[in-house]
Amino acid sequence: MLRIDNLCVRYGGIVAVRDVSLEVHASETVLLVGANGAGKSSLINAVIGMVPAAAGTIAFEGRSLDNVACAMRARAGIGYSPEGRRVFPSLSVRENVLAGAIGAGIADKRERYDWLCGAFPLLAERARQPAGQLSGGQQQIVALARAMSAFPKLLLLDEPFLGLAPVWIDRISDAVRQMQGRGTTILMTEQMARPALRLADRAYVMRGGEIRRSGSADEIRAAALADEYL
Amino acid sequence: MDGLVTTAIIGLSLGVEYALLSLGFTLIFGILGVINFAHGGFYMIGGYAAYAAVHFAGMPFPAAVATAMLVTALLGYVCELLLIDRYVSDHLTPMMITLGLYLIISTALIVVFGPEPADFSFPIRGSLRSGGIYITYANLIVLLVCATVIAAVYLLMYRTDFGLALRAMADNREVATALGMRPAQYFPLAFGLATGLAGLTGALVTPTLTLSPFLGDSILGMSFLIVILGGLGSLGGAVIASFIVGIVEAYSRVYLGGSKGALALFVVVLIILVVRPNGLMGRIGRPA
Repeated sequence: MLRIDNLCVRYGGIVAVRDVSLEVHASETVLLVGANGAGKSSLINAVIGMVPAAAGTIAFEGRSLDNVACAMRARAGIGYSPEGRRVFPSLSVRENVLAGAIGAGIADKRERYDWLCGAFPLLAERARQPAGQLSGGQQQIVALARAMSAFPKLLLLDEPFLGLAPVWIDRISDAVRQMQGRGTTILMTEQMARPALRLADRAYVMRGGEIRRSGSADEIRAAALADEYL
Repeated sequence: MDGLVTTAIIGLSLGVEYALLSLGFTLIFGILGVINFAHGGFYMIGGYAAYAAVHFAGMPFPAAVATAMLVTALLGYVCELLLIDRYVSDHLTPMMITLGLYLIISTALIVVFGPEPADFSFPIRGSLRSGGIYITYANLIVLLVCATVIAAVYLLMYRTDFGLALRAMADNREVATALGMRPAQYFPLAFGLATGLAGLTGALVTPTLTLSPFLGDSILGMSFLIVILGGLGSLGGAVIASFIVGIVEAYSRVYLGGSKGALALFVVVLIILVVRPNGLMGRIGRPA
């Protein structure tokens, strides 16, 4: 579904992602694991189009994303939940969720919203509350639901556990499992390898902007290199 | 007692006019992050477009008002697309562009229509009276039309995908774009909507007051005052602030008179801003 070949991302003279190639197949969950500054978020941002690729190619469903604007990538079926949640603070929880489904028909939006409220009861409980007033964990649920409300083919999750207490990590993990249950393909980044690997089918270990190791989640968990992150 | 009630009615009609005027101004700031110095210019274009439609094209007044709104909306759309869009991420350049635009508009109006006030009056005269309380038909019609348009803008902003997208982009443009919203599509429409509202206000209100090519400064000043009082970028705040300003202005003019009345308005605004420095419904800072 997603194929990245020899991707480089640069910020001025600083190379954030260096010659990275990876693949994500339909209905699988792939984890990019690594410490701060490993290049995970830069890679995700390049896929959604928030930062340009300095070199290399990104193809989604067999089509190159070169010269495809950020908004059009979302419309092509790539959902995005950014690092640090970044919900729309002045919009209500319901509006945040529906903001991800702009352009869908009224019946479609209602169906999606109802499904999301069933999957994440918090959304119905706090529907009218401004999202900026929620706790970090609650905001993460809203950000996930917002990304999911477009029912994307590929969902990009950038550090969904960042700064959350263990109880919220469990809840977010349950939310990700709900998405997996729908057959959603997920590319996820995370520093907290232990809970993230429990959700992943395969994983890539990144360091210094490069992929240092790849394999099944079990292989990475067992590998000494991954131990550094566990 | 009748005088108090009549003054309150005048204050309400002033408030609703100011609300319609300032909604466009705060909309542009809230969504694009642009302070539109040409706002008063679009108000004047609205007035002169309606005047020209009535006097030169022979249109009935309602059609002239609708035409004026469409003309200013279209002009705003084109200006955003051609002049502002590429600099929208920069705060200073759009300010300078809109300031230049205002100078061009006001000079062009002087060249075309002359520096003297135009002979443009509301087509319906007389007033509705009940005992000692009264409101002119012109003010009543302006009040009803403005209130209807404000309600329509509210529905547009809070009950449609278009409004949701604009408010999402106002909160976080980058994330909104990553969710599929296209600023290049929405920003010219938002700018056109805002200038259309300014033009509509100009077309409706100038026949009840005066139409001259020197109105823009005072209109811009009043819009600034209301938007800062309401909280920069807040639509609800702008509406509440408009009514506060309208009521205070009406009472202070009637009971204090000319310059003291104007002073009273600024004192009230100052006190409110001391208590609430970010305005009535303002946020601290504006998200990028």
